Amino acid sequence: MISLRERLPMDPTLLLLGLALMAVGLVAISSASVEYGTFHHDNGWYHTQRHLFYLVVSLAVATGAYFVPAQFWLATGWFWLLGGVALLVLVLLPGVGKDVNGSQRWLPLGPFTLQASEFAKFTVLIYLAGYLVRHGDELRSRWQGFAKPMAVLLLVSVLLMAEPDFGATVILVVTAFGMLFLAGVKLTSFLGVMSLSVAGLVALVFAAPYRVARLTAYTDPWADPYGSGFQLIQSLIAFGRGEWVGVGLGNSIQKLFYLPEAHTDFVFSIWAEETGFLGAMLVIGLFVALIGRILWVARQAQIVGDEFGANLCFGVALVFSGQAFVNIGVSSGLLPTKGLTLPFVSYGGSSLIVCCTMLALVLRIERDLCVAPSRKAAAPANKKRARA
Amino acid sequence: MSRAPRKTVIAPWRFYLVVIALLALPTLLVGRVLSLQVLDTDRGRSFLQNQGDLRSVRNAEIPAYRGVISDRRGEPLAVSTPVISLWTDPAILAGVEDLSALAGALETTPSALRERLDNYAGKRFIYLQRHLVPVAARDILALRIPGVYGKREYRRFYPAGEVVGQLVGFTNTDGAGITGLELAYDEWLKGVPGQKQYIKDLHGDAVRDIGVLEPARPGKDLRLSIDLRLQYLHHQELQRAMALTGASAGTIVTLDSHTGEVLAMVNHPVYNPNSRRGITPAQTRNRAMTDMYEPGSTMKAFTLVAALESGRYSTETLIDTSPGRIRVGRKVFPDPRDYGEITVSRIIEKSSQVGVTRIALDLGHQPILDVFARFGIGSMLATGFPGESAGLLPNRERWSDVEKATLAFGYGLTATPLQLAHAYSAFANDGILQPVSLLATGQPGTDGTRIISGDLAAQVLTVLQRVTEEHGTARKAQVPGYHVGGKTGTVHKVGPGGYQDNKYIALFAGIAPIEDPRFVTVVIINEPQGEAYGGGAAAAPVFSRVAQGTLRLLNVPPEVPAPAELTVAAPASHTSGAIPRAEVSG
Repeated sequence: MISLRERLPMDPTLLLLGLALMAVGLVAISSASVEYGTFHHDNGWYHTQRHLFYLVVSLAVATGAYFVPAQFWLATGWFWLLGGVALLVLVLLPGVGKDVNGSQRWLPLGPFTLQASEFAKFTVLIYLAGYLVRHGDELRSRWQGFAKPMAVLLLVSVLLMAEPDFGATVILVVTAFGMLFLAGVKLTSFLGVMSLSVAGLVALVFAAPYRVARLTAYTDPWADPYGSGFQLIQSLIAFGRGEWVGVGLGNSIQKLFYLPEAHTDFVFSIWAEETGFLGAMLVIGLFVALIGRILWVARQAQIVGDEFGANLCFGVALVFSGQAFVNIGVSSGLLPTKGLTLPFVSYGGSSLIVCCTMLALVLRIERDLCVAPSRKAAAPANKKRARA
Repeated sequence: MSRAPRKTVIAPWRFYLVVIALLALPTLLVGRVLSLQVLDTDRGRSFLQNQGDLRSVRNAEIPAYRGVISDRRGEPLAVSTPVISLWTDPAILAGVEDLSALAGALETTPSALRERLDNYAGKRFIYLQRHLVPVAARDILALRIPGVYGKREYRRFYPAGEVVGQLVGFTNTDGAGITGLELAYDEWLKGVPGQKQYIKDLHGDAVRDIGVLEPARPGKDLRLSIDLRLQYLHHQELQRAMALTGASAGTIVTLDSHTGEVLAMVNHPVYNPNSRRGITPAQTRNRAMTDMYEPGSTMKAFTLVAALESGRYSTETLIDTSPGRIRVGRKVFPDPRDYGEITVSRIIEKSSQVGVTRIALDLGHQPILDVFARFGIGSMLATGFPGESAGLLPNRERWSDVEKATLAFGYGLTATPLQLAHAYSAFANDGILQPVSLLATGQPGTDGTRIISGDLAAQVLTVLQRVTEEHGTARKAQVPGYHVGGKTGTVHKVGPGGYQDNKYIALFAGIAPIEDPRFVTVVIINEPQGEAYGGGAAAAPVFSRVAQGTLRLLNVPPEVPAPAELTVAAPASHTSGAIPRAEVSG
């Protein structure tokens, strides 16, 4: 481990966990999309090839991001936020954004499409992590410090809901609250705003009938097995078929068009069908380890006083946790149906690029912790003081 | 990179609270996945698997292989070959934009196909095309047109075609026998379809087989008594006779006289069972078993039996037939010329109406009817062949002399060609009548019935042989190298106004070889044209050629090994394409 660590200028644990999830994703997508690709594109490897291309692009972008020092992100937070909001506005413009299944979420880029909310999520993260550093004292003492990021969050949420993208909104709001909480925001105002937000989310749910329909479909999909419950039932059947070790890679029946577009948001169901409970546990375990490691990096950064790094890592950990939990929760019927990708695993370029970039930022922050020996030496002292 | 660590003092409990909250998430997921995949909870694993199977597992019928019908030597007469029928769900196919590829493959036009789909708009199953050869069907299925599926079936082929068409019959497109032996032995041949399970995808395409629930039980094979070589020979000779006589229809049937097996049975007109468009009942009818004819003078052999059994006649009893005609009631039955005083044997040889009438009036109708009935005339042969006729023996209270006389020479009753052959087989089998069999038995049945004494049978054979000799009416029935016997018949056809003067049926019932009979052949030529319309002129030559070929194929050694025969026979056998007799006998 030491030698690998020396040769590699980054944390091998994080790197290997990320790569492992991407490998699982590639295998799962290949298996889940082979029939779909053959039927729609006359090429069973159609989605695998495209996903491989996304992987290459993502790793290139992530490598680039890795060489950018954290100071740069901190300094350009506002710029990123403006860019993210611009994307969200752009996608809503008629004729620019692409409407798929009633949601206007994609910007066409030649043969590819860009999912605006994925990038917006990333930019809000950068902005918020910086804001918490710049206005830390104000945040902890006065409610005005708390109100400014709330306004930004509200704006982005409204834009996301206009698409509509309820899932991304929830992830973003929860992540933002988590980051604020971890940054030490005043408990009274925090709890007040949080209860307001929860009330707002509930109101949103009941404002749009299709969300109510989705909610009822999730609580009892068997009530309407060929209508609103169809997709979830097919997903649950995939889980049920899997048992302990699965039906074997490639042997899924649900991917034979029963589970619509099984390689995208429901790829975990096919994975669970083919590799069973053990395969599902492997993926959940990888996520737990990855997020745990990111939290560990965040805590280290917090301890040595790298506030921006800590905030960013907390944000990344929360985004990954939220998305992984919602995605797996949705496909197993634990949560109402939401179109959220499984980080590193689901098919799709935008999600993959953003996830890899986020991981690259964490890796960079972790490396900066290591190469600052004075801080490292100071760490134990800080820790003791914090506990005292 | 803020310098002052004092600012970063954030209570650690916030971090640990978030960690604990985040740890709750995977715990929830693991519990949920566990209950779905491993623990058998309500609506858990087994419920889900069952629901999945309801959606994706289907049962399909495995078609059963229909038994092969073969001739006595195993030559196939009816075989089933695997084919694929294309069917469609019109509701799905109607939604396909471009039907031109499919229409092209089905050799129709897109508009015609579209119209057909519209006609069946409410249905979920129609056949696009039945019984395609598997390669062609797979090419069409490879187009992957939604809603087009293939179904495995068997198609019946008849390698011998028209030659045995009427006897074997045929099946309908669903593989059920509808005529002939295909119908008679349908239960035996058809087998029991099995069931298998397979997984289909959402589009309905079968993806993989799970297993066989119940294997298909193939039908049993059927070995017929006919010999395809003899059948071809009979067919060829009948076609030739049709051409020579200009007749409209005909039948030849040959029966193994020891076993009662039908060795050959052909009819004209014929049809091709492999291509049945536009066929008529006249072509499919197996006339040898379904059509009834008045047998005419061929019945005189049985009148002879009645005469000999009465004890008042022997074959050499003299009867005066002068002046060559006899008046019975208001009818006059003439002979071709005045034969004078001749023996009973010669009466049969010459087929003398006067002589037979005298005998009949002397015996009365009852002994004659008894003999006819004993030989099976008027009762079913019980072969089980669909549409088999029993023929008709008259049964009346009062008999006029005319009726007694005409009964004796074969009018006023009907029989099928096979019944006639069957009746003659008793003469050829030492007086024992074997039941007729259409299936190969290979040996004499034990349930044969003696109906006349062996001595009597031998006497009749002697007379029948004389019929084919120099004084007889059937000299054209002779077969070079062998002695044969038989009896001619010429009957007026019955039309709307009774018997018709210019329409005849020519018959011949023959036995060969006469010393040790092997088979009986009945030839019936319906409406021969021109002067050669009689049994001796139209039917007897056909018997000669058929018997000659049959004797050769049955490896019966010639009984007349005279060197003189060689020179006579050789040219004749050359013309018929047979092996020169010198080689056979030498």
